[in-house]
Amino acid sequence: MSTGEPKSFDPPAPRDSLIAALLFVASMAALFATQASVGFVRDESMYFVAAESYARWFEQLLHAPAEALTDNAIVRAFDINHEHPALMKMLFGLSHLVFHDRLGVLPHAAAFRLPAFAVASLIPATIYLFGRSMYGGKAALWAAISFLLVPRQFFNAHLACFDVPIAAFWLLTAYTFLRAQREPRFWLWCGLWFGAALATKHNGWFLPFVLAPFALGRGWLLSRGDSEARAWLSRFVGLYAAVGVFFAVLWIAEGPGRFVQGFTPLSPASALLALLLVGTIAILRRLRRASPSVFRSVAPIGAMAILGPAIFYLHWPYLWHHPIERAAWYFDFHATHVHYAWFYLGKLLREPPFPLDYVVVKTALTVPVTIFLPMALGLAAVAARAAASLWRKWRPLLPSFEEAFVAANAVTPILIISHPNVPHFGGVKHWFPAMTFLAILGGACVWRAAHALLLALRPHWPALSEWGVALPMFMLLFVPPAIATARNHPYGTSYYSELAGGVPGAAILGMQRQFWSNNVTGVLGWLNEHAPPNARIWLHEVTGLAFQEYQANGMLRRDLQSAAGPWDAQIAVYQYHQEFREHEMNIWQAFGTRTPMTGLYLDETPQVIVYQRE
Amino acid sequence: MLPLAESALLLVAALGALYFQVSLPGKLVTEKDYREAAEALANEGKEGDVVLLYPWWTERARLFVPKAIPVVGYLGSDGDPLSAYARIWVLAQPRLPRSDLSGFERRFVPGRAPLGPPRPFGNLRLSLYRNGLHRPIAFSAVSEYASARVYLEQAGGARVDCPFDGKAHRCPGNETLHVAPEWHEMLYQPRFCLWMHPPGGSRRLVAEFPQARWGERLTLAAGIVGELAFHHEPELTPARVVVEQMASGQRLLEVTIPPGREGIVQDTRPAAGAGRDTVGLRLWVQSENPALRETCVELFSDRAATP
Repeated sequence: MSTGEPKSFDPPAPRDSLIAALLFVASMAALFATQASVGFVRDESMYFVAAESYARWFEQLLHAPAEALTDNAIVRAFDINHEHPALMKMLFGLSHLVFHDRLGVLPHAAAFRLPAFAVASLIPATIYLFGRSMYGGKAALWAAISFLLVPRQFFNAHLACFDVPIAAFWLLTAYTFLRAQREPRFWLWCGLWFGAALATKHNGWFLPFVLAPFALGRGWLLSRGDSEARAWLSRFVGLYAAVGVFFAVLWIAEGPGRFVQGFTPLSPASALLALLLVGTIAILRRLRRASPSVFRSVAPIGAMAILGPAIFYLHWPYLWHHPIERAAWYFDFHATHVHYAWFYLGKLLREPPFPLDYVVVKTALTVPVTIFLPMALGLAAVAARAAASLWRKWRPLLPSFEEAFVAANAVTPILIISHPNVPHFGGVKHWFPAMTFLAILGGACVWRAAHALLLALRPHWPALSEWGVALPMFMLLFVPPAIATARNHPYGTSYYSELAGGVPGAAILGMQRQFWSNNVTGVLGWLNEHAPPNARIWLHEVTGLAFQEYQANGMLRRDLQSAAGPWDAQIAVYQYHQEFREHEMNIWQAFGTRTPMTGLYLDETPQVIVYQRE
Repeated sequence: MLPLAESALLLVAALGALYFQVSLPGKLVTEKDYREAAEALANEGKEGDVVLLYPWWTERARLFVPKAIPVVGYLGSDGDPLSAYARIWVLAQPRLPRSDLSGFERRFVPGRAPLGPPRPFGNLRLSLYRNGLHRPIAFSAVSEYASARVYLEQAGGARVDCPFDGKAHRCPGNETLHVAPEWHEMLYQPRFCLWMHPPGGSRRLVAEFPQARWGERLTLAAGIVGELAFHHEPELTPARVVVEQMASGQRLLEVTIPPGREGIVQDTRPAAGAGRDTVGLRLWVQSENPALRETCVELFSDRAATP
């Protein structure tokens, strides 16, 4: 009988793989069944256009490869949205090309979003396999199901965006990292999934900082008493340290601009990269011969170091002709990202320093309490055991390597975003990678509690089975978030938990009511019914591209025209943001009325307000 | 023992969450509730009334409240004196999660007197108050803007007229240089104020009101519009708004709005011309760098309400 306490990290049995596959299919089905009503968020409308552009380049590659491979053709196709790597957008575009353009079996938007559903569905399946390896099947099942029962995560899983995919690839990298510690070839998978993470979103670049200390620490412990393995492990560390120092010296000596310009095939920087590549392979080969277990501990890091950047470069044609210059622009763009206004506890956050408590408070207020509480207790249990183990008599409580690893992955994305100078807009999506690991810790907590209840009840009901306790408990914990998800869908960015007092409670607390403009779907029906023929409509915050998407997907009448502002419109659709109040005043001024025609009011909170010119 | 405690905690949380989710719809307001409350307002509302929302963001009420009665609800509106209005209808939703009607009343009631018991309409509660903070307006630049003379004044005193086109006084050459009452936001508060964008340099945009009626005090209130007020880049300069007596040139009121200052900046003084019915007032705005200095101004004279 498993107890919710950690066990050794076992590979999955065929039955587990089957359950994981079922979770994948069920998630796909749930996402597909609920996608049609999900509006097009601002970024997504841009990604659709980029995806189509990338897909056209693939067609060109088939028909005129020599021309397609020129920098001119690549820039023509890939210049659009080169703020983000291309992997997911390529998948969106190819899916649209095949399932909409060629086969005609999927509607326009659904065809773009299909790869997003698939990647998102990897999360419950992987959480199950991951959690089962540590805490057993029941804990894992709770963890897996809980991920999509967080309304904001459920909403984001529908989008052809990158926030859920990066969470999926972060999780897969970590999972294969742990399996690589005991099983052959998984170091290679770890490198490949890391490459997918880098090819999806810049969050992926933080992964080595979480994984490397565990790899090196484990390697150090395993090489105790094995001088040869210890020596090769030290050389492995020394190689990376030396290359890092040399790069730092070059950066400081030349300055960022000259460093980037000087990064040519025969430059010192290129030589350092070559040294890293050759050195990694050579050292890992020797380490494998000296000690397979020490090799397995650090091989995933070697694979990540080589395969990650290689996949990042190779998957993105935009980098092919000017890798350093364009990659440098990409990193600089994210390092100096603008700050958007964000309403938090009655104050508009516009510029750093942002409150240190923001991420924790926002998570507490946006994850249903029956999921948040197990997550918090699960993480607290690991932290408490780690603290207690500092005393000799409680040394056995020391968290396992795997538990500490999961806790580190749960905390790191939150710590990164919590930094007061990191942009704080975007709700909770920027720390989704943490939520998959918190779900695993939550599952451990729930099953630990259920098991304790079972032990307490068994003397009275000897026939009581594990499922006899687990199932009612799971149901009790899942019914409230299921109700909330059903009531909230498809307005995911507006959801607030019971702790906040729901959507109205959060409005009283002074929290951001919505973002990304997709809630406009709540009034499209009214517009289709009431707007005069050929009316000029201003959809505030909705991009022109999204306006076209609503028409292309049959959600908005095709005769309606997009207006540039209230002065230009017969009907204005205002999105309530605290920083946009002036826009609503402009509508009052232009239309000569302060009385709306209709609106989207979620549990009384104004989200989208419609005015018609008098 | 600890896991059993965890178990109890999770079960309590689950039952609490279930109760919250199941009971929430019953705490919301129906369209019927709104219509019945609106009917009461239509029947009993008078000129000089206003509807104040609690919580401040429950603006769905705007769909139903008769157009003749203004609706006020913005972040901070609980503390608004609403001095332009003689009576206040408080339209509250006390059953919403985190709603704290008694806390609201502690802030709102001082200076006001209830005119009858609150009336429930489903989950809505409608209460009428006499506004003891009411101060009738004797003169308002916003109301009397059409009769103003507006011009641009150069440093040397040369003037360029901004003729009135029936809606606004428009200065030649630049669309932003006009004077007209407009709705704008200042620190989340909707204000109907005179748009007066400074022309830049030492030039002033001037509006003269030759026949302003004196009340008991004269108030100048001005602010930078919307999100622009937050900007505090070093190249931005303060906006100065000044009121002078036309005949003597005596400076009566002055406010300076530095970059980064949000909301209304206000200056008030007793009406020095007591005994006279009217006085000529000269209102001007100036900022060295006009960028992001979209200024909106209110100038009014009021008096205590007669009981």
